[in-house]
Amino acid sequence: MQRSPNDLSQLQATMRAIELACSSIQMMVNPAEAEATILSFCQSPQPYQACQYIIENSQMPNARFQAATAIRDAAIRELEFSAAEKETFLAEVKQATLGIHGADVQFIGINFLESLVSEFSLSTSTTMVLPTEFHDQCQKSMELEYLKAFYCWARDAALSMTNKILDSDSAVPETKASTAALRLMLQILNWDFRYSKNGVEGAKGRKNVFSARVGNDNNLSRRSECTVVQPGPAWHEVLISSGHISWLLSFYRALRKKFSCEGFWLDCPLAVSARKLIVQFCSLKGDIFHSDNGQMQENHLLQLLSGIIEWVNPPEAVSKAIESGKSESEMLDGCRALLSIATVTTPVVFDQLLKSISSFGTLTLLSALMCEVLKVLIVSNAEEETWSWVARDLLLDTWTALLVPIESGGKTGLLPAEGRNAAANVFSLIVESELKAASASACSDDVDTDYFQASVSAMDERLSSYALIGRAAIDITIPLLTNLFNERVARLHQGRGITDPTVTLEELYSMLLIIGHVLADEGDGETPLVPKAIQTQHVASGESEKHPVVVLSSSILNFAKQSLDPEMRASIFSPRLMEAIAWFLARWSSTYLMPPEETGENSGSGYDNNHMVQSLCSSKALLIFGEHNQGKSVLDLVVHIATTTLVFYPGEKDLQALTCYHLLHALVRRRNVCVHLVALDSWHHLANAFANERLLFTLYSAHQRSLAQTLVVSASGMRNPDASNQYVRDLMGHMTNYLVELSSKNDLKIVAQQPDVILSVSCLLERLRGAARATEPRTQKAIYEMGSTVMNSILIFLEVYKHEFAVVYLLLKFVVDWVDGQIIYLEAQETAGVVNFCMRLLQLYSSHNIGKISLSLSSSLLSEAKTEKYKDLRALLQLLANLCSKDLVDFSSDSTETPGTNISQVVYFGLCIVIPLISLDLLKYPKLCRDFFSLLSHLLEVYPEMVAQLNDEAFSHVLGTLDFGLHHQDTEVVDMCLRALKALASYHYKETSVGKVGLGARAAGSKDQSGQMSEGIFSQFLRTLLHLVLFEDYSIDLVSAAADALLPLILCEQALYQRLGNELIERQVNPAFKSRLANALQSLTSSNQLSFTLDRMNYQRFRKNLNHFLVEVRGFLRMI
Amino acid sequence: GFGSSVEAAMSDEEHHFEGADSGASLTYPQQAGTIRKNGYIVIKNRPCKVVEVSTSKTGKHGHAKCHFVGIDIFSGKKLEDIVPSSHNCDVPHVNRTDYQLIDISEDGFVSLLTENGNTKDDLRLPTDDNLLSQIKDGFAEGKDLVVTIMSSMGEEQICALKDIGPKS
Repeated sequence: MQRSPNDLSQLQATMRAIELACSSIQMMVNPAEAEATILSFCQSPQPYQACQYIIENSQMPNARFQAATAIRDAAIRELEFSAAEKETFLAEVKQATLGIHGADVQFIGINFLESLVSEFSLSTSTTMVLPTEFHDQCQKSMELEYLKAFYCWARDAALSMTNKILDSDSAVPETKASTAALRLMLQILNWDFRYSKNGVEGAKGRKNVFSARVGNDNNLSRRSECTVVQPGPAWHEVLISSGHISWLLSFYRALRKKFSCEGFWLDCPLAVSARKLIVQFCSLKGDIFHSDNGQMQENHLLQLLSGIIEWVNPPEAVSKAIESGKSESEMLDGCRALLSIATVTTPVVFDQLLKSISSFGTLTLLSALMCEVLKVLIVSNAEEETWSWVARDLLLDTWTALLVPIESGGKTGLLPAEGRNAAANVFSLIVESELKAASASACSDDVDTDYFQASVSAMDERLSSYALIGRAAIDITIPLLTNLFNERVARLHQGRGITDPTVTLEELYSMLLIIGHVLADEGDGETPLVPKAIQTQHVASGESEKHPVVVLSSSILNFAKQSLDPEMRASIFSPRLMEAIAWFLARWSSTYLMPPEETGENSGSGYDNNHMVQSLCSSKALLIFGEHNQGKSVLDLVVHIATTTLVFYPGEKDLQALTCYHLLHALVRRRNVCVHLVALDSWHHLANAFANERLLFTLYSAHQRSLAQTLVVSASGMRNPDASNQYVRDLMGHMTNYLVELSSKNDLKIVAQQPDVILSVSCLLERLRGAARATEPRTQKAIYEMGSTVMNSILIFLEVYKHEFAVVYLLLKFVVDWVDGQIIYLEAQETAGVVNFCMRLLQLYSSHNIGKISLSLSSSLLSEAKTEKYKDLRALLQLLANLCSKDLVDFSSDSTETPGTNISQVVYFGLCIVIPLISLDLLKYPKLCRDFFSLLSHLLEVYPEMVAQLNDEAFSHVLGTLDFGLHHQDTEVVDMCLRALKALASYHYKETSVGKVGLGARAAGSKDQSGQMSEGIFSQFLRTLLHLVLFEDYSIDLVSAAADALLPLILCEQALYQRLGNELIERQVNPAFKSRLANALQSLTSSNQLSFTLDRMNYQRFRKNLNHFLVEVRGFLRMI
Repeated sequence: GFGSSVEAAMSDEEHHFEGADSGASLTYPQQAGTIRKNGYIVIKNRPCKVVEVSTSKTGKHGHAKCHFVGIDIFSGKKLEDIVPSSHNCDVPHVNRTDYQLIDISEDGFVSLLTENGNTKDDLRLPTDDNLLSQIKDGFAEGKDLVVTIMSSMGEEQICALKDIGPKS
């Protein structure tokens, strides 16, 4: 470049200043001043020329280093260059990167590129207060124009240093630069490629303008850190056909040989970077490979695998070396590579890869590796996290990646025959290691044994992976489980009364968890099918009794049956073992006990029959536990075991929770099972004991609620609705009678405060609530009667127990659930009665609580009191919302004829009672907040006219909360507020456009006492909402709702809107942005033939317009 | 059938839950496993409100026990107890009565109006400054105040105030 002499002398001066500063720092002469000089140089605007001059001319390495650093900082600081500047500048960086100016500057150059790439990848960029639009453009141009060039520079840099590094016996300066180059290549491959995919994933390429950072929801990774790399066809040459990978592999191979030399070792940065890059290449996927049936990708993977195999094979030698002190990192990277390969291939391809270069398949290697790791785990004390833990998890993830069937990808979880043996080997070692761990931990006096559910779900991921492996070879693994299980049961019997059974109990506990996972899937409320792998695998024997799953299930059922014998129970069946049994029976029953399609009866109950019948045909053998086979007797056994846990394990809350919430719920989930349940003596005894006997009152009260629900649900198994209703009456009648009698006692006030009475009342309310939650059309009548019988008693109890929060809350919750179940079925007269009752309840509650202050010395008791209040209010809001639903869904017969209750008035009245109790402070409780806004938005949407009738205090409270809600974190809350605003504004606009008052004075604004004019509500909300949509962060999902609220607000306040628009335009300094904004505002209200009406069509047009508008302007209005 | 023992055990006790009219006593026994958060419990002979319940086992295959954290309803002190869950705990009889506040005397007593028109003059004001000022301030503002007196195991204390509108 030509420079004028003037410039030149200035550049020389700068260079001298920097050189001087560098040397004074080196010599510790006046370092503060020198640092200041360098700092101001680094921060000076556009120092590129000076830097370039220094780099090219200075003899002093330190000065060159400072200059390179200054370029880096400045370039990141001042992203805008003219095109010419950019070219010169990048040419400079390229030269630096390729080592023209020596190794130091080369390192800086590569480092600079690394920072540049990271700056442009939005997820790691720093905040720069530049328009978002600008960031996008940078990102796109980076990906399309520069990324590949940078990669090549880094690759060439690394290549050029290869010989120097490999020829030297110790670390040379090039090592550092070479490491940086490899790191840069890795970082570029980590780029979130959006634009180079031939539009295949167009949605991913579209930028979200509504929030600052792009979420990670696009990540394809299944469960581990393994991300798929898809840079697109443009990278084929660079990465695949250039021989680049073979260079990398041989470079690392050569490096390995030098690990004994000084300066190189397994974990030196150069080796680590090289391995990471190799692992990253294993995740390459997509159209970077030609479409040749995957042949090219297979070759690519094979090439990598042949390099990687030395890291992990032979497994025994590798693990021995690690145990005797070698670093585990190479072995773990090998596991990571296998995981990556498993993620991008099918099991068959995966297995085949290795076969072409060795005598065994990849699955066999995976299995051998896993076995080796498990052996180490078994021997070592599994207390702390060691390499074998990490390796086990990585390898388990690899198996999962291979075995989890992915519907869309057409990948099947089935393994080739050889692979099945490999899986079976692994599985048997898994079980062995788990048993070892169980027996080791059995006697540890771990006082804080986790609650069963917590511990199962913590292990769940691991157990699910085990199950996948076990299911890959059921003909081997299930008989193995059966033998191991039976062995331990036999051991228990032999040692009964002689030896301490704890170790065996813990082993059985562990086995039940594993077996439960292998045999059945978690239903999550649905009826889970027999796992596909179990259905489809060919099992040699045709007879049901010999099917391995049947044999194993029968073994466990027989063992569980022994818990019914008192002596056996006392000596063997500990609470913890029973927990595992209850959990297992729940899981197993959902899948195998009386599977649904056997009877034609429930063809209408929503199951996908075709699909199920098909899958069931393939596993006829498993129908042995069906309704017409052993099903009934097994069901009876399960009920007996459940009852045993409730009766003979007093105070075992966790066990009883499993029985109530899992086991019994699983039994009544399907109607065909209920039909058999209600016919069983054992079920009848349980129901009778529950209704009439004292014993089950000692269950935890929430468990009693669940039990009541279960028993009422089972009434659906009665032959007709009358019988079902009678079943419920018989079950609950005694309980309601007790409450009615108690509430009519003369000395109630005294008696009611006794702890034993409080306990009885609480338990009964919980039971009533459980029954109410089980309301179905078939039992609705009986449950309505149950509730209406106690309505009056409820009000009496609310008075008597007004200071007893726990009881008040139960009273409210019962009413909430009862109204929820009943309201849509009630006839006019019944509705009036229920609504009247609810209003009295609300008034009574309010009169007890308005103006009440709790006094206590204890701050924690005061905060408990606040939480209690929150819970009450939430219940009251739910009650109002439930009443509202009557106006939406109504199944009563006389809804049109008779003059019904005016629900809207009632609910508004209720809201006025509740609102004074709700403070903004209480709205910090997220659930209360949602409930409140969902009720509010519903009311404003359905009955906007009622707002005009609210008194001033309630009105301003409602608006205050709306404003609060618009700025809430919770998208749903904002959405509900927007809906409420839309309703209010559109109501007002429609009313006023036909000459009515609408919201009248409230919309117009008013003068306050000091004569200050305050804006009307729509003006206020128009300002707020405009600011929100233009400048704040929010979810893209809210745009439509915001449009729906904005349109009527604009129509209500057109003059203000014009003014606000003009102000916005005036504020723009940049003339290009100014005119873009003006045009965008113009088309926001004019394009798509937008009119001044509030009909569906117009709302839709405005949604479109607003969307375009925001995409156009938010890019430069918002600064990040 | 294999369930006969269960049935026998259940029909052993054919109570029909009565017993609501026994005389008031200071405490009642209740199985530890049935005591919930927000309920009451006696710990170290003090009536407490339960603010935390957790269960654990004595050894992996042993029986459940409950760990209670309670707060003394009068002193506000935190107390803890561990009880096997099938054993009984004492639950205190906690009574709360509303009175209208008539007067606050110089010597630290309150004068209360009972439901049947008598006065109750034996209750001391709390010594804690904060509580004291909440009661005194409200009274001084001329509000009509109802106070709630909590009593249990022979002690009593004001536990809540309620403003029922300006004094007529």
